[in-house]
Amino acid sequence: MLFFELFVQGLIHGSMYAMIAVGLTLVYGLLRILHVAHAGLFALGGYLGLLITNATGSLALAMITSALIVGLGGMLVYRLCYQPILDRPPYVPLIASIGVFIAMEEVFRLVFGPYGLTYNHPHLQSQVTLLGLNLRGAEIGMVITAMVLLGGLSYLAQNTRIGIAWRATVDDPEIAESFGIDAVKVRYLNFFIGSGLAAVGGIFISLLSNLVEPTMGGVPAYKALAIIVLGGLGNVKGTLVASLALGVVEAFGTIYIGSYLDRDAIAFAFLIAVLMIRPQGLFTGR
Amino acid sequence: MGIYEISLATLVGINIILALGLNMISGFCGQISLGHAAFYGIGAYTAAFMAKAGAPFPAAVLAGMVLAGLVGLAVGLTSLRVRHDFLAITTMGVGFLFLGVVRQQEILGGELGVSGIPSPGLEKTGYMVLVLILAAFFTAFSLWIKRSWMGFAFEAVADDEDTARVLTVDVAACKLTAFAMGTAMAGVAGGLYASFARFIMPDDFGFITSITVLSMVAVGGIGSVFGVIISTVILTLMPEFFRFISDYKLLLYGALLFGVMRFAPEGLAGFTRAVRKAGIRSAGKKEAAG
Amino acid sequence: MMRKLGTIVLLVGALAFTLAGAAAAAGTIKIGFHAPQTGFAASDGKSATIGAELAVEQINAAGGINGKMLELVVYDDQAQPAQAIPIANKLIGQDKVPIAVSGSYSAPTRSAAGVFQESRVPYISAYAIHPDITRAGDYVFRTSFLGEIQGKAGAKLIGELLGKKMVVMITLQNDFGKALADGFKSMTRDFGIEIVNEYEYSIKDRQFGSLVAKVKADDPEAIYASGYYFTAGPLVSQLRAAGVAVPIIGQEGYDSQKFIEIAGKAAEGVIITTSLDRDSDVPETKNFIEAFEKKAGFKADMVAASAHTAVMVAADALKRAGSTDSEPLRKALAETHLKASTGTISFNALGEVVKAVQNQVVKDGNWHRHSVIDDPGLLAPPDK
Repeated sequence: MLFFELFVQGLIHGSMYAMIAVGLTLVYGLLRILHVAHAGLFALGGYLGLLITNATGSLALAMITSALIVGLGGMLVYRLCYQPILDRPPYVPLIASIGVFIAMEEVFRLVFGPYGLTYNHPHLQSQVTLLGLNLRGAEIGMVITAMVLLGGLSYLAQNTRIGIAWRATVDDPEIAESFGIDAVKVRYLNFFIGSGLAAVGGIFISLLSNLVEPTMGGVPAYKALAIIVLGGLGNVKGTLVASLALGVVEAFGTIYIGSYLDRDAIAFAFLIAVLMIRPQGLFTGR
Repeated sequence: MGIYEISLATLVGINIILALGLNMISGFCGQISLGHAAFYGIGAYTAAFMAKAGAPFPAAVLAGMVLAGLVGLAVGLTSLRVRHDFLAITTMGVGFLFLGVVRQQEILGGELGVSGIPSPGLEKTGYMVLVLILAAFFTAFSLWIKRSWMGFAFEAVADDEDTARVLTVDVAACKLTAFAMGTAMAGVAGGLYASFARFIMPDDFGFITSITVLSMVAVGGIGSVFGVIISTVILTLMPEFFRFISDYKLLLYGALLFGVMRFAPEGLAGFTRAVRKAGIRSAGKKEAAG
Repeated sequence: MMRKLGTIVLLVGALAFTLAGAAAAAGTIKIGFHAPQTGFAASDGKSATIGAELAVEQINAAGGINGKMLELVVYDDQAQPAQAIPIANKLIGQDKVPIAVSGSYSAPTRSAAGVFQESRVPYISAYAIHPDITRAGDYVFRTSFLGEIQGKAGAKLIGELLGKKMVVMITLQNDFGKALADGFKSMTRDFGIEIVNEYEYSIKDRQFGSLVAKVKADDPEAIYASGYYFTAGPLVSQLRAAGVAVPIIGQEGYDSQKFIEIAGKAAEGVIITTSLDRDSDVPETKNFIEAFEKKAGFKADMVAASAHTAVMVAADALKRAGSTDSEPLRKALAETHLKASTGTISFNALGEVVKAVQNQVVKDGNWHRHSVIDDPGLLAPPDK
């Protein structure tokens, strides 16, 4: 029973990672950029979600508005931060991205204060008993939302014109362009969707801990990078599997080997072990 | 010079050695490392325990250098297996693993770190001079490597591994040498830091430190020895410059990283080159006009 | 461009010069102070700074130190030792402060302590818990509890006052959590406590799903969980949400209104060992709690009270020494006997404080007195 419970907790944690990492891997697949500032957008999503919920009382409105605004924010980051330096070696956008992330964290602190914000009326805190497990509404909500959004995304990618254009661009930008696909539009769309997903993830996480703080992007900033590498950089399916796998490894690891290695070290030991066996990640290529 | 300036100069010297070490790996040889702080930490911990066990200061620092270099060599082996961004994340993982291990080992001081590290036996001024001499030595060493045959081989690997291989450059040997030398330099910097602070904790050698060092290298102009030195001086002293607006200090730091990469992606070195070129061009125009 | 830069440098220089001149003319006494104002620890740094500023305002309003006004020289150390060392040197070498207070965490405080000791400038740690801080030498003092002492008090609270014996420990992976755990474990036999299991978590964790599931399976009688309000808030609410109803015991890291805000109803009944008694009749404590809320706009926490106390202790020593020279000042500090916001402060031979532990419990959304542990044998800090 305990094993099952830990496994479920791992999957919940993993679906949280997935919401953040998918946007990151989309960016990598298209532009080969390690987009650290993604974690800043994730935190922005948390802030907007909390502020709107507290002001209007509607969580659904907060989710939609925050996803839209953060999606636009992601497009802005692409336009201002990455587009002019795309032809540079990869460390250039990486450092620029880290700079943007640090600046965002500091802006959150300066604007909203260092103490963190909490919900006036915590939503989805009620407990549900499912299969003999005590779960919170927010946990179930997060898993369902992740499944719906990511499932919907893959449906769009497989079955709509825009999705096909998108996949074509990821596969080979030049050929795609010769078929009349506007690569720039695809990039903007990419950032919009990835950032919107991160925003929704940020709101669920803030609901789970009832806390939005300036440094809430700190862990995703590097953990999500590990996940997309594990999943085979740019591979969406691989990223999903890697997110869930890492969630489960951490859930068991923190309980059974927590006194030898901390959570981060467990995650990265797993990553290094996988990479030494499969240098291209769990799923090869794109 | 007051004790404040002396402490800053010492810190600058240590950071220069640290950054030049990473420049060896990432600048000369093109292998981006996000885990440089781990080797800084290995040097610091080794030197600290050696010194506490009664080893003389030079032996302690030397031991830190050797151990950091050896572990660096082992990590360099991973660079033969994984490439580019995969390598960047692997080295980042090495950093977190180092931290995770040190944190949980009571024998290494665990979370409480190591205190009571003996003084190096030099006055503050004397220690600063020693650190600066070592920084100058590693500067000269970097310049020498860059201009040597090995430096050309490194550059070939950095440009394009496969082409380098065709040109019969021993890519594996280059990468391993660069990793061993660069991490050994980080070990020296760590040893010097341990005797300077006389107290070390795991968090001193975390991911943020790795990022800070990489920023020093990238802002200076990756591969440029003097660019890296100048940017290290600027970035180390920056918090001091901006004490009067301390609330915005970190914001400015982030903005600077972004700004340099966005507007001068080749760093300060590339920037000065561009200015010089523009100067020659405009001088040329003037001449032509006159 | 260069000329403009030159002008700015000149202007800033001139400004600094006039400011320094003004200070000297008015005959002020400086107290050095460093705390993290940016970066991950900025929240504690902000509380500490406001607490310290409040102390200085109160002293100046009451006529200053032997006719001279106090001036707090504040620097941001980002909770990083590599910044704290130059700051300590700057406070000593440039600002020439006769005495300094740390409103920062253990790592920067321990690093700076060595610098102050070497220059023979008295230095007071307000709330950093690392055991080696005062071991830097005889010029270094601490006005808060050692982590280990608080851990021992926690063991007494659980084993004796609450009478719970089967305990699960949830330990924060840093110097604070480790020191608390060591102290707690050293006393388990004395109070008949059995540790069912111990789990560790990182200061960055906010989601404790797997940990909570395991604790629930362990089914202990009480939980001893170390942490800060931003980790403990989510932890406590997640434990309660999973149906774990046993008493949860925390420490001064929880001690903030923010903890109650985050954990909400789940916070009710949580007991902590700390040094600020919300229901105190002692005027020093009562006045501080009121004055802080008025100045800051939010409720006082342990960090703010500790910084306030440390500055009060520094001012008191300056007053009694009647001088800013290092040796008389150190002597005056060592002889401190002062009622302050976090209790009556006096030091042992090592410079560690000896005072009662205040147990606070959350009741109706506020901290209130639960009990007091004043057991000199148990609370005696090491003296070398």
